[in-house]
Amino acid sequence: MTTTVLPAAAAELGEGPRTARLAREAIASGLATTLLGALGLVLGVVAIFGPTRHLRIDWLLPLAGVRFDVDPLGGLFIAVTGAVAVAVGIYTVGYAQREHWARFPMVVLPLFVAGMLLVPAAGSVPTFLLAWELMAAASLVLVLSEHNRGAVRFAGVFYAVMTQLGFVMILLALVLLSAAAGGDAFTTIAAHADDMSAGTRTAVFVLTVLGFGSKAGLLPLHAWLPKAHPEAPSPVSALMSAAMVNMGIYGIIRIDLQILGPGPQWWGLTLMILGAVSAVFGVLQATVATDLKRLLAYSTTENMGLVTLALGTASLLSASGAPDVAAIAMTAALLHVLAHAAFKTLAFLAAGSVLAATGLRDLDKLGGLARRMPVTTVMFGIGALGASGLPMGAGFVSEWILFQSLIHSPPDGNTLLALAMPLSVGAVALTTGLGIASMVKAFGVGFLARPRSVAAEDARESPMSMLTGMGLAAAACAVFAFWPALVAPALRGVLDALPEVGGDTAGVQLATFLRLPGIDGSLSPALLAVALAAGVLLAFAASRWGARHRPAPVEVPLWACGAETLSPRMQYTATSFAEPLQRVFDNVLRPDTDVEVTHFAESQYLVEKVTFTTRLADPVEQRLYTPVVGAVIALAQTVRRAHNGSVHLYLLYGAIGLLVVLLVAQ
Amino acid sequence: MSYLLLVPILAPLVAAGLAALLGWRRLTAYVTLAAAFAVLLSGAILVHRVESGAVFAVGHLLRADSLTVTMLLVMGTVGTLATWASVGYIDAELRDGHTDRAGAHLYAVLLPLFLAAMALAVVANNIGVMWVAIEATTVATAFLVGHRRTRAAFEAAWKYVVICSVGIALALLGTVLLYFVSLHAGASSAHALDIDTLLNNAAQLDPDVTRLAAGLLLLGYGAKAGLVPFHTWLADAHSQAPAPVSALMSGVLLSVAFASLLRVKSVVDLTLGTGFLRAGLLVVGLLTVLIAASLLVVQTDFKRMLAYSSMENMGLVAIAAAAGTKLAIAALLLHVLAHGIGKSLVFLAAGQLQAAHDSTAISAVTGVLTRSRLVGVAFAVGLAVLIGLPPFAMFASELSIARALAGANLGWVLGATLLLLTIAFASLVRNGSRMLLGPPQPDAPTIALPGTVAAAMVTGIILSLALGLSAGPLTALFQSAATQLGASS
Amino acid sequence: MSLATYTGVLDLTAGAFLLAAVLIVWRRELRSIVHLLAWQGVALAAIPLTEGLYEGNPGPVIVGLVVLVLRAGVLPVLLLRAVGTADAERRESTPLVNTTSSLLITAALTMLAYAVTRPIIALDQAAATRAVPAAFAVILIALFVMVSRRRALSQAVGFLMLDNGITATAFLITGGVPLIVELGASMDVLFAVFVLGLLTGHMRRAFGGTDLDQLRELRD
Repeated sequence: MTTTVLPAAAAELGEGPRTARLAREAIASGLATTLLGALGLVLGVVAIFGPTRHLRIDWLLPLAGVRFDVDPLGGLFIAVTGAVAVAVGIYTVGYAQREHWARFPMVVLPLFVAGMLLVPAAGSVPTFLLAWELMAAASLVLVLSEHNRGAVRFAGVFYAVMTQLGFVMILLALVLLSAAAGGDAFTTIAAHADDMSAGTRTAVFVLTVLGFGSKAGLLPLHAWLPKAHPEAPSPVSALMSAAMVNMGIYGIIRIDLQILGPGPQWWGLTLMILGAVSAVFGVLQATVATDLKRLLAYSTTENMGLVTLALGTASLLSASGAPDVAAIAMTAALLHVLAHAAFKTLAFLAAGSVLAATGLRDLDKLGGLARRMPVTTVMFGIGALGASGLPMGAGFVSEWILFQSLIHSPPDGNTLLALAMPLSVGAVALTTGLGIASMVKAFGVGFLARPRSVAAEDARESPMSMLTGMGLAAAACAVFAFWPALVAPALRGVLDALPEVGGDTAGVQLATFLRLPGIDGSLSPALLAVALAAGVLLAFAASRWGARHRPAPVEVPLWACGAETLSPRMQYTATSFAEPLQRVFDNVLRPDTDVEVTHFAESQYLVEKVTFTTRLADPVEQRLYTPVVGAVIALAQTVRRAHNGSVHLYLLYGAIGLLVVLLVAQ
Repeated sequence: MSYLLLVPILAPLVAAGLAALLGWRRLTAYVTLAAAFAVLLSGAILVHRVESGAVFAVGHLLRADSLTVTMLLVMGTVGTLATWASVGYIDAELRDGHTDRAGAHLYAVLLPLFLAAMALAVVANNIGVMWVAIEATTVATAFLVGHRRTRAAFEAAWKYVVICSVGIALALLGTVLLYFVSLHAGASSAHALDIDTLLNNAAQLDPDVTRLAAGLLLLGYGAKAGLVPFHTWLADAHSQAPAPVSALMSGVLLSVAFASLLRVKSVVDLTLGTGFLRAGLLVVGLLTVLIAASLLVVQTDFKRMLAYSSMENMGLVAIAAAAGTKLAIAALLLHVLAHGIGKSLVFLAAGQLQAAHDSTAISAVTGVLTRSRLVGVAFAVGLAVLIGLPPFAMFASELSIARALAGANLGWVLGATLLLLTIAFASLVRNGSRMLLGPPQPDAPTIALPGTVAAAMVTGIILSLALGLSAGPLTALFQSAATQLGASS
Repeated sequence: MSLATYTGVLDLTAGAFLLAAVLIVWRRELRSIVHLLAWQGVALAAIPLTEGLYEGNPGPVIVGLVVLVLRAGVLPVLLLRAVGTADAERRESTPLVNTTSSLLITAALTMLAYAVTRPIIALDQAAATRAVPAAFAVILIALFVMVSRRRALSQAVGFLMLDNGITATAFLITGGVPLIVELGASMDVLFAVFVLGLLTGHMRRAFGGTDLDQLRELRD
């Protein structure tokens, strides 16, 4: 890792012109990213509250021309991306210097943000696809920043191929749409959407769910996420997880919910099933992951699964004639997108801080960072609280609203709803529970207790720019945790533009008290926080009350079960923490466990060394991707054998072609 | 103005004559470069002229319409890049001992002859003369393919000459049959094979014999364009030829052959309706893309990889031609131009890698981006163009081909093609990352880069970017070519 | 000459043309097949010569004479030069398809040629056009020869036979293509044979023989 080389490199570089140039470039890159982000935030907010803005450039993009239409839905996603970019940009100033980034990734980082800002602004099919591919190309370059490592190269190629596969599906869907509508602009397609045949609509739905779902990290095409996010530099991972995956959600909302309308009931059901399965699978993998960034990546799959579940609920309820509850589900989806952006950015930036300080991602080797990196620990704690969905965490309010919409679905004797809703409630509950476990593991094992390795012992706190970036993200988390009313007008503005999913109903009223007028639910996160704080103060005061009359605390050595000393290696590791859950879900996870016992040469009865290895591959990758790749290679080998270099065989092919032509021309 | 049509043929012939007299030296090499540039200039000047109708010269012997001018632009651009790079490339080959003065002399004479033959093929009005010119390109390039005089080069040259000549012979048979039906439709024997005569009499041509002729011409010109079933020479010839020649063959010759097929198609569609050649091009195109994508998966040689990529692109072009709408033809022409520039860029870089390692095995080359910034960037940009990434032009052309196919009710074909293109994408990305990224091996040889090759690479990168952003006046040219070829809306 | 004589001579030459092709399939010595090719060239030249004499038109007569010199003279001489002097070289190696099967396939291809050329005969009832199936059959047989023979030279002979067949078709149905095309085509054929001959020489030096099965190194 670069950081283990850091002392030597620093000694080499010294205070020379190279360090100064690196600082200049890092500041330029970070500043550009932040400024772009701020621009995006402003533009997005303006678009949500103002009229739709248009821009056409006919000479750009040969044979197509470029067209931008920024409406409230696009504006929301532009604003989210911009906000994430602001925090990441400031963070990058310090991170790039710490990790000695090359010049090319620093140049591409603002371009990546620009691409992401353009996707929701696109108003026609060619523009959308152009922005999408620009975003994908820039992200690929950034993932390959440290291409000297083999794992990075492998992850990059894997990511490139899966992104292309997703792009191809989206391309096919969108050109089918524009061919059926007779025009490229989204407004034209929306106007003709009702005239399209059921076959076209179904094909477009299936393709977009697969293609956009892949970008959002949903099963079954999610496997790039846990490979690419850990290998990318941490600011890039933050941007990808908190901003880029939202583009998949944006695509599903734009095409399947807005343009093609709420669709038949099976559309909503499909989204719900996909979302639920992704959520449970993602959180399960997060629970057993020992790589901190891989854990966070699977957590993204989980959260996007929850968002998709909410979208599916909104679609299903809207198609079943309950638009007011649908609006509530839609609010949950959008709010969760925002909240996830906040806490995932924070979590990844904190993980990056740990990586820069220790060079480690492996939770089994971290620990004891609370003393050495207090600010980072608090930051990660806030992010983990948000990811777990507990009260006072950023994700709590949106999950609560989602629960409310699922529980209060109308019981009009609709069997489908009667089945789907309780099962979804179960899935969300399971997800939340396992999510708490995975975050506790990440926080507890990674940051608390004693350090498990030398590198963790030598950790030092990050520079101010990185802490500032994390602080901004933490502030956003606090807003979503205590005062979601701040974003209420924005959500209202977006919902007004989505009448297909009940946007024209009363929906959710987000104020100090969260009210759901249609179903008589209410919650006040701010009051909850105040009550909790009061309770903590009361408990603290109560413990202090009798302290003067109690004997002073005495330090004694810890009981070590008869062993001489306690070493940090005897603490819980991430693997052992997750082991009970891994046993429960053994059939799904299918771990590959290996125990190797080495005896002494002199005696078979004395054990010298025991090695325990456990490998958890992604089961979807093993059972779905590997056979498909194998089939492609088998086909390729067949074609290869048919081209064996013999000029007679080649001429024979030509002769057969001639015979076919002669016969067909009759 | 009409004498302008003679420039693309005469300028390279003059260069060839000069080279025959003086052998390989700076003067003749730069005269060849000037000739290629003259082809480009003549095309550029004619751009606006041909949008209103065809231009004739030397009586009715030569004819230029928008398709001709497009092909002249492709030929001129790629020709300029290739001849410019040849200067430094051949000098380096002479220095390293891969060739001798006689070989360089032959190269200097055959390269401009090759350009002249291709130019004749696109400006000829008589499709019989067009056939002669295409066959002449086979003869001219046979020894260019065998330039290095190795066993592999001879094997490639033999297969190239035999398979291409058989294919083109079938095209001659088709041309003879077309002449036959044209005479029977009332044309005079001197003008029966003229394009404008054939277009005028198209409705009177006998359908049964025309169907036979069309099938034979599809096979024959498809052979030169690298389409199934006469595709088997492509990988061998393009991988054994010297890099500038590979660039010209991959980037221009395949497209010129396909342009000849488009000319025939415009006549046949009027006689038989669009159904026959549409079905034929679809079958041929899909099979070509399938075979190219499959063979890309198992590639171990980077020049063969680039050759199969050319084959895949020609298959895509055939499928676009099958769709036949105005957008499809315009997108096809943009694709041909973008592919030409991108392919020359990547072949020039590959040529330098071959010269450095004396091998074209992918496993032999590592860490190019670290070892040579310009060669690595040129190779990466070329690959990015080929896999269809923006901001390069093949993104726009592939997107437009997709839109055209969807609009022509060929959704299933589009889906299958996109899947196969993704398989090809995967192979190119995987092999590209193995060659470009990562740390180089400790004993890796230095990559030499002659000045003119570097200049050609830089120009190629700039052109790729420019074309990707905007096609400018070329958009109107492509669209008028589509209309003139009789594309449906 | 009268129409009946003209038709008779035309049918005879077409028959000889086809017969030469069948004999090339049958024989295995390289020198004999080159000689048969030369005789086929004579039969080919006879077609425009007969047409010219029948119509009293000097054009086809000149073309016929040029074809005679080229296809029956120059090209076979070039090919004979390329045949090696060693004894082993003079025979074709074991063909890929045995002689009996080859002749059966030849018969099938001839029947196919008759079927395929029906629309051409339907369009033009002239005597010359009715002989087209023979020329077409030679084309198909030539392709078969190229596919089934191992020697480089046999492939070159097959290619020339293919071109003979196409030229015969051209003469029979149209009285020859425009002069410039005929000239260009002949030049191309000449150059192609020249190239093939040179390559055969290089091949002998590089591979130590002209068996095409040795050319299998270029593959994936």
